[in-house]
Amino acid sequence: MHTRAPATPATAAAGVALLVLAGCAGPPGDDDPATLTIGTMTVPQSLDPADAMGSAAPYFQAVYDSLVRREPDGTYAPMLATEWSYDDTLTELELTLREDVAFDDGTPFDAEAVKANLERFPEAGGGQAHTLEGLEGVEVADEFRAVVHLSQPNRALLYYLSDAAGFMANPGSLGDGLATAPDGTGPYELDPGRTAIGTTWVFERKDEYWGEPLPYEEVAISAFDRENALVNGVRTGQINAAVVQEADQQSVVRSEPGLESVPQDIDYQGLILFDRDGHLVPELADRRVRQAVNHALDRPTMLDKLVDGQGELTDQVFGTETAAYEPELDSRYEHDPERARELLAEAGHPDGFDLTLPRMPEIVGEPMATSISTDLAEVGIDLEWDELDPANALRAVFTDQAYPAMVMNNAQPAEDWVTVAELVLPGTFNFLGTTDDTVGELVREIQNAPADEAAEPARELNRHLVEEAWFVPFYRLTYQHVSDGNVEIEPQSGAAAPSLYNYTPAG
Amino acid sequence: MLAFALRRAGSGLTLVLVISVLAHTLLALPDPDVGRQLLGPAAPQELVDEHNAALGLDRPLAVRYADWLAAAVRFDLGHSWFTNESVTQSLANRLPVTLSLMGGVTLVTAVVSFVLGVWAGVRRGAVDSAVQAVGVIGYALPSFLITLIMVIVFAVQLGWFPAVGYTPPGVSLTGWLSTITLPVLALSVPAVAGVSQQVRSSVIDVLGRDHVRTLRARGLPFPRVVFRHVLRGAATPALTVLAMQFVGMLGGAVIVEQIFGLPGIGAMTVQYTTRGDIPVIMGVVMVSVLVVVVVNLLVDVLVAWLNPKARLS
Repeated sequence: MHTRAPATPATAAAGVALLVLAGCAGPPGDDDPATLTIGTMTVPQSLDPADAMGSAAPYFQAVYDSLVRREPDGTYAPMLATEWSYDDTLTELELTLREDVAFDDGTPFDAEAVKANLERFPEAGGGQAHTLEGLEGVEVADEFRAVVHLSQPNRALLYYLSDAAGFMANPGSLGDGLATAPDGTGPYELDPGRTAIGTTWVFERKDEYWGEPLPYEEVAISAFDRENALVNGVRTGQINAAVVQEADQQSVVRSEPGLESVPQDIDYQGLILFDRDGHLVPELADRRVRQAVNHALDRPTMLDKLVDGQGELTDQVFGTETAAYEPELDSRYEHDPERARELLAEAGHPDGFDLTLPRMPEIVGEPMATSISTDLAEVGIDLEWDELDPANALRAVFTDQAYPAMVMNNAQPAEDWVTVAELVLPGTFNFLGTTDDTVGELVREIQNAPADEAAEPARELNRHLVEEAWFVPFYRLTYQHVSDGNVEIEPQSGAAAPSLYNYTPAG
Repeated sequence: MLAFALRRAGSGLTLVLVISVLAHTLLALPDPDVGRQLLGPAAPQELVDEHNAALGLDRPLAVRYADWLAAAVRFDLGHSWFTNESVTQSLANRLPVTLSLMGGVTLVTAVVSFVLGVWAGVRRGAVDSAVQAVGVIGYALPSFLITLIMVIVFAVQLGWFPAVGYTPPGVSLTGWLSTITLPVLALSVPAVAGVSQQVRSSVIDVLGRDHVRTLRARGLPFPRVVFRHVLRGAATPALTVLAMQFVGMLGGAVIVEQIFGLPGIGAMTVQYTTRGDIPVIMGVVMVSVLVVVVVNLLVDVLVAWLNPKARLS
């Protein structure tokens, strides 16, 4: 597909694009087994791979193939690349490509296409551009062999090549046009006439696809603003599948006969302490103070009252599917206000201290804000919340670096290095660059060790971070993958949104 | 009459212009960091600044407004900063949804309100008390509550209507009716409550006037007096209230569209306003203002036709 979406007359566009969810009009529909209708709260910024993000993966997987396929259990399988191997320094990854793949206009998929896409990705400045940080270039070894050169080992490179960075677009289309007219080798093509961007995207199966066709003739993805509308759509069969995050809607789903749901613990919610060196709040430089914050929070009550028990308590940021995960670290910090007060006194702050944190209402609702304030006040920490509007919250936190910590929901990918790169290395979520000798040594060890030897240092790093109280995690949130009974959904390891490949007709 | 209509149209256009200036200024004042929102927390600041500059956000506010206006008069409202969709195309997709919702509510409200209002005003007594009681209850119930109850009962439990989605009438008339019925009824309840009370009061007022007493004294059949003379007099204030309800419905549509998953401009307003997507919000504001201006113009003309004295004001 190499055409820009035509500017169709308004009535025609409205006529065809908006019928998708209607119960009784035209395809795709709930009672049509050839159509899969996915409901979601995620809207992609565009369909250009440079703007791709994991939570919007199904939109992109419909029209693009990735170099590496990530299986539901998190292992990697061939896709556009059939084989891959690192050199001894882990800074060169050689990819062997399929030889029978072409874009719709006949342009062959080859090493030049890989070079064009990978070298553009970090330059294009999308939200995931940092995942290919350290890319020195891509060498075209021959028509179907490409060598990725890195300035230093990137242990999560295969993960990233199975994600946003790995989606391959037609080199001739790289640019603005891809935003609304995607041009990849994927199993489907966007139907611009029936797509209303921002509301509904309709993808039709390609006549010719190099791989095994997916089971649905047509895939429609519909975006909603409210989860209760999404759930009502599944209850009436207008939506085949959706991810339900809110506790009250999960309760509706569980009580509804006929719906199938699969739980998955995925994101964790908690405080990221940015200011571990005490630049903004000097008290936080002391490990005992950070540990006191961990002991002060009544996590069991928060889990029970704030999310209706839909989650698992945890004190670590590494997910259960990572090599670094250690079950006993989930209960390192019991709710113990007395111990918290002792730690504060030992650190020289028997009367506590003042703390101001940003509050984005969509993450920290009033009940959570009150709960955290109350728990911290009990040990003498006077917490004040600054309410931020969504349009400027990121600037205030990450550009202006105005706050010492923030409550966030973070994904827990199955790959250790993704967590290390996102949360531990100096950068986005460690923008003040905290580190210590142990962290530095363990990170180097994980980065440079052969894959089968990286697990132990990863676990050791996890233990160290928990002991140093770099973070204040509350719990891993349980989401429900719910279907109307006509679709089987296999959750994707380490991701809230299942891959498009994980949906199959029930029975 | 033509001069009257042209005068009203001229004031409407001035209003559109003034509101566009105000809206653009108010939206730009908080200075939303679009680049940072788009590129995420990990993007280097230089890239964020470049992105903001590419969107023209580094230029003075007046220049940005002038550019927007120059394009808008050519019906080019730009592209969404967040989804790249054409604002004009997006509004063209979504406006029919909201207009059919508002049109349906207006029709239901007009018919039901006039029936109830005339019935209560003419019969008085128990009927009047009952209509007033229904009006108070309808007014007091929050429309989101009515909407949620309707979805649960008629869509989820009984399965009579779809719970979410929209079918355009051009594709399937029955499909359109099935998708629009519950949202229309949900929004009609408070509207009927308000307009029926206005019709009732106006009917009682006109029935007590001298010319109506004279007509009845001359022996004209009562139904003829009501339908030919009383209704004409009562229609003017009722039409004004109906027009106000129509305009106010834009606000109510936000909630109803979200609950029913209707892809209209109401739902769009919330989604894009929180992100500070100025091209889209400006498009929504302009369309909303135009709808209000057109409706007011129609009502003014209709009222002037019903009551020639109104043309002098």
